[in-house]
Amino acid sequence: MNPANRRDILKYGAAAAASTLSLPGLNLAHAQAGPLKIGLITPLSGPQEFIGSYVKNGAEIAVDQINKAGGIQGRQVALEIRDDKANPAAALAAARELLGAGINLHTGGISSAVVLALIPVMQQENGVFMTCGAGTEKMNHENYSPNLFRPGDAPDARGRAQARLMAEKYPQITRWTGLIPDHEYGRTMWSIFVDGLLEFYPALTGKKPEILDPILLPYGVSDYRNSITQALRQQADGVYNATYGGDAITMFQQARGFGLMQRYKVVCDAANEFLVARGMKQQLPPHWTGMHYYAEANKGNAMSDRFVADYLAKTKDPEPLGWAAEAHASIYALAKAIEKGKSTDTKSVIANLKGLTWDTVTGSRTLRAEDNQAIKDVELVYIEPAATDKGYRVAQYQKVEGKSVLLPASPGKKLVLRTA
Amino acid sequence: MVFADVLTLLVNSLTWAMATFLVAAGLTLIFGTLHILNFSHGGFFMIGAYAAYSLTQSLGGSESMAMYLFGALVGGVVVAALGLAVDRLILRRLSGVDDAYVLIATYALLLVCEGGTKLIWGLNYRSVMPPTVLDGAWLAGQAVIPKMSAFIVACGIAVFVAMEFFLNRTRPGRLVKAIAADPWMARLLGVNVRLVYTATVAIGFALAGLAGGLLLANQTLSPSLASGFVIQAFGVIIIGGMGSISGAFLGSILLGLIDAVGQWVLPSLPGLPFFIAMTLILLLRPQGLMGRRH
Repeated sequence: MNPANRRDILKYGAAAAASTLSLPGLNLAHAQAGPLKIGLITPLSGPQEFIGSYVKNGAEIAVDQINKAGGIQGRQVALEIRDDKANPAAALAAARELLGAGINLHTGGISSAVVLALIPVMQQENGVFMTCGAGTEKMNHENYSPNLFRPGDAPDARGRAQARLMAEKYPQITRWTGLIPDHEYGRTMWSIFVDGLLEFYPALTGKKPEILDPILLPYGVSDYRNSITQALRQQADGVYNATYGGDAITMFQQARGFGLMQRYKVVCDAANEFLVARGMKQQLPPHWTGMHYYAEANKGNAMSDRFVADYLAKTKDPEPLGWAAEAHASIYALAKAIEKGKSTDTKSVIANLKGLTWDTVTGSRTLRAEDNQAIKDVELVYIEPAATDKGYRVAQYQKVEGKSVLLPASPGKKLVLRTA
Repeated sequence: MVFADVLTLLVNSLTWAMATFLVAAGLTLIFGTLHILNFSHGGFFMIGAYAAYSLTQSLGGSESMAMYLFGALVGGVVVAALGLAVDRLILRRLSGVDDAYVLIATYALLLVCEGGTKLIWGLNYRSVMPPTVLDGAWLAGQAVIPKMSAFIVACGIAVFVAMEFFLNRTRPGRLVKAIAADPWMARLLGVNVRLVYTATVAIGFALAGLAGGLLLANQTLSPSLASGFVIQAFGVIIIGGMGSISGAFLGSILLGLIDAVGQWVLPSLPGLPFFIAMTLILLLRPQGLMGRRH
């Protein structure tokens, strides 16, 4: 072979290799070797760090369990963890970095704004993202994307289950108001709860509920007295609280001085799980709250029992909260979809996640194929202060069948709700 | 608007104002004297709150008023001691450097405060019961006046009066003001300027810690407590006039009133009137209400 021919062979060989590497879907330039990497993008600093820590622990436990069982298709799994600071810009930067490194499967987001911001980048860069608790309904409706999945409660299922429970348990309480943070999640949950009240009160009690204007609270401030005073001027019997975490505790503490919470015959909280109860203990106003996962009620489910044991060993916390369970469920969903399709390719994973039924710590769940929303039972608990080590106790527990409260899929279309 | 509404508005706005002034007091004292804008002030306010929390919890709870006040005082002492260390290690190196470096250094210190808090107390939310005597409210006709609100207002006024008295009616206080105005001349007259600076830092930090303890039953304890309050505190000292105690006091009352009235008039836009008011005040008086043009 003369030198010129050798040069041609090298030249055309390199061109052929380059064009092969750039074939869509192949992306060998970034193909993962070694462990199967999954991106975990969640808040590890800032106001949502506390909840992010549950997501991180839940995902890490799932990965450890899967690795001990031999991995996914014989490959060990590794998490690539990034801090989204509950900030869309930081989340986008983290997602681009991970996608650029060839990591196409992701989980972790808990902020509605973050999850909505990730939709375009996941579609453009061919990634899959699972939220571990974002409350926006838009991701399954007007902002639907095939690349985004919610393996946990839908906000419409949660809010409507709560409204139905109120109608069943408190048929005489028909004047409702809300303590609603002025942001996407707060307004969403209030709208859905109202929709549920307007459906279930007439259906179950024969009465039409009276919906008062919600009290809109600024987010992340140190003083809620002006909002509390507004609430005092209303004559509501029931209140729906969508303030969250530290904000909720501050608001409840300041409301205590005004005697506000005692004026309501029932308090229904959207999603604080045990956050407020652990923070307030004996000061806690008795209330119903929604749980992604209540460990006590899932005793006997082998997966849940093992999860609780592993969580205790890892964190010394005997009662993991729901965000940990959602992250755990999301990793198992990805694992099952990969096993089913025998591929980590995005197209294959999406195809196999749609309609997937898989086991979780709350029992079996199914990802609805039309809009990537899990059909999952809603868990609700009534918490009251108590002279126990914890300072509170769960006095009642209610499981609502997910299918019975989840609104029909309408990907690409705005969720239509009843209004007062 | 009836009398009860006006009274409620006044009490709410004063509560916000005095809570903010309690946090801003030490910040404005240090800026007025050392001309250092201490971004980490909120972090030390938070440490004061956590120190008071730990003490009251280890001694059986915060239900006794004496215990609550003792916790706040200990919070102040702990943070004053930390302030002396911060002065020695950091603040002294910042005198005379560009403001941008001061902000970066003190912001880094805020991150250290937050990190240290997470390390010692963890991420869990915490709260305490108010002392029994502060639990509940007085009724004035239709108006509800929480006792905790009245306590916060009283604490804010007491701190303001004490600071004004100290700075204007005592020799050490007048010395602080003199050094703030002209440190070079004070040195020439044989005043130990370094010692006065150190004492001022200790008092400023003690005020932050004391505020943390006094406001303990007013909000959640969490590692993000620092940032929320420090923004408010900066707001009132900018509006009041940088370094002016009376300016911070008036600024906090004005902004508190605007926020309360704004939420009354525009309940669907919480927070908006507050920021509009801040913008307008700064457009009309860039030096702040009590500040001087340089």
